Amino acid sequence: MKRLKQKNYLIYMLPAIILISVFVYIPIIQNFYYSLFRMNSYTDEMVFVGLSNYKKIFADEIFYISLKNNIYYAVISIVCQVGFGTVLAILLESKLAGKLRVFFRNIYFLPSVISVTAVGLLWYFIYNPNMGMLNSLLIKMGLENFTHAWLGEPNIAIFAIIAMSQWQYVGYIMILIIVAIQKIPIELYESAQIDGANGLQKALKITIPNIKETLLVTSVITVIGSFKLFTEVYVMTSGGPYNSTQVLGTYLYNTAFMYDEMGYAAAIAVIIFVITFSVSILQIKISNSGKE
Amino acid sequence: MKKNLSILLVLIMVMSLIFTGCGGNDTPEVKDEGEEVVTIKFLHRWPQEPYNTFFEEVVSDFEADNPNIKVDMQSISNDPFKEKIKVVLGTDDAPDVFFTWPGEFTNRFIRAGKVYDLTEEMNSNGWKESYVYSQLEPFVLDEKIYGAPFRVDGKIFVYNKELFEQAGAQVPSTWDEFLTTCQKLEEANIVPIAFGNQSPWAVSHYIGTINQKIIGENIYKAYDPAVGDFSDPGFVKALEEFEKMVPYFNANANAIKHDEARNNWMAGKAAMMYVEIVEIPEIESVCTDEFRDNYGVFNFPIIEDGKGNQSYLTGYPEGFVVSGTTKHPKEAVAFLKYLTGKEVGKKEALELGYINGAKNVVEKGEIADVVYDNTQIVFEAERMVNWLDSGLHAKVCNVYLAELQKLMDGMTTPEEVMQKVQEKATEVKDEF
Repeated sequence: MKRLKQKNYLIYMLPAIILISVFVYIPIIQNFYYSLFRMNSYTDEMVFVGLSNYKKIFADEIFYISLKNNIYYAVISIVCQVGFGTVLAILLESKLAGKLRVFFRNIYFLPSVISVTAVGLLWYFIYNPNMGMLNSLLIKMGLENFTHAWLGEPNIAIFAIIAMSQWQYVGYIMILIIVAIQKIPIELYESAQIDGANGLQKALKITIPNIKETLLVTSVITVIGSFKLFTEVYVMTSGGPYNSTQVLGTYLYNTAFMYDEMGYAAAIAVIIFVITFSVSILQIKISNSGKE
Repeated sequence: MKKNLSILLVLIMVMSLIFTGCGGNDTPEVKDEGEEVVTIKFLHRWPQEPYNTFFEEVVSDFEADNPNIKVDMQSISNDPFKEKIKVVLGTDDAPDVFFTWPGEFTNRFIRAGKVYDLTEEMNSNGWKESYVYSQLEPFVLDEKIYGAPFRVDGKIFVYNKELFEQAGAQVPSTWDEFLTTCQKLEEANIVPIAFGNQSPWAVSHYIGTINQKIIGENIYKAYDPAVGDFSDPGFVKALEEFEKMVPYFNANANAIKHDEARNNWMAGKAAMMYVEIVEIPEIESVCTDEFRDNYGVFNFPIIEDGKGNQSYLTGYPEGFVVSGTTKHPKEAVAFLKYLTGKEVGKKEALELGYINGAKNVVEKGEIADVVYDNTQIVFEAERMVNWLDSGLHAKVCNVYLAELQKLMDGMTTPEEVMQKVQEKATEVKDEF
């Protein structure tokens, strides 16, 4: 009787297992397999090339530009979104915010609910060199020397895109941290108050240590998000000018669908997978360590 | 017993989940008269109005004339089309008649056996002769005909007469005159050339033209991915000539889009622009009456010491082909013939302002003069030169275009550009 029950478990789990395998595990394995071939999407012809796609990637200038841009994005996002987001959260949860707390919370959160494509177009116009808001503003302020073709200059373009993402997501991270702050028992603050702690001391000695878990998790989310970056770049520059804003996601897309190198694209995908997978393992480790 | 039943039920559910969607539906519809109705799939790249309505009407007219053929029409807009067509052609569900750009863009599909060879049909009943040959030639590969032109195009300069007058500039006919004109405009504080190169296909049109004018017939061989090596010194020379005109573009050309540059030109912020003839109806439809009389066109100036035939024109038609894997070639070819023929061509010219490749579709006076006259430029050209971007192998093109953007910013030299292109071309050749 017991045996039969166990068998039943398996059968009930079967649909989920099959679905996950078909849509997640099998494609990952297949993708690795495809990365060993030279192929395109419109023929059945596949030429086995072994690991030469990987060899090519590690000699590919654009791959390193992409990787570098992803890393820029990750580092800046951690500093701005997690760092500045925490500061915002602490300020909004402190007495300073007062009655405007909810108002500001919504204001900061709002950008993250707008679709990335819409935000991308919006910022595309802000950055426009001739009629864009940013350059007009700089000229009005008498700072003509600081005007740029923000998305057209290879040294600046990627940072212009990164800046947009910070604007969009800082509020989202802030909300996650606010939730964590609200879970901190009020008694801790009360006893600190009795001991004569000021606001800054309370933030550093009570708030930050207590939201450590959330900080780590949001950092990991941000890093993984940085390596999956695609839409922002695709909408604003499509990787140009001359590949200076290419990130792994857009480079993968371009190689697959513009340059007909499916196998090469699959190899790039494997590398993205390895990076995000390692970060995820890190995340799992961290969240396990958080069990009090 | 009950348990077994539930296990069975679960299994059935799992199976139905997996196999839903796997079934095919290939049974042909049968009409009352017992005649079999064949459905062909048709894919074009104009989902926006008024084009979509135009195609709907063409399809329903065709269906009325051919009751045994049903046309299932779909459309994808320009940029996504370039990617999606590659994916659908890899499936069994490929469209029977689909849009394409002739040249390397189509040739790779031909090499993969995805395009139907029309030579036999074209040579019978005078079908081939119904087109202007310079417009059909782009669809020829290894002496076989694979498609038919739907919309002819060519690249010309448009210029603002008032601004030219202000600067005392002349309409140039040679390259040297052209540079002098630019100089004069510049001296009068007028931006000589509007240029939006955020998507770098824009610069490829200049380079394609200059390459042909300087190098001549050798470009056709150089662009062929199987043999081309770009070793001709003319390629470097072309870039050096191009560098001479770079200072006359508007600022930040790499940061603005082609459409934006065109709007600037129409607003009188620049004197000239290199545009496609198919843009003329668009310009006409949005510009003011005053502006309409205030602009003229001229051909790309001739380069006197160039080896190329100076009466060739940059610009390739767009057209349709039949799928190489179609199950109904006869019906698909019939539709293609109708779609690119004179009857549809006339409707197309009147309603959309586009001219197809069939002979004598419209007379002067039937459509706007400016459209008619500019189309004559295309028909008078001895031979068409493919757009550089769709004429090159995708990998080579990508490197070429990125390097050209760099060249415009002064971050590289003509020699370095061509060296990178040669390296990529060699790599591509090895894969053939």
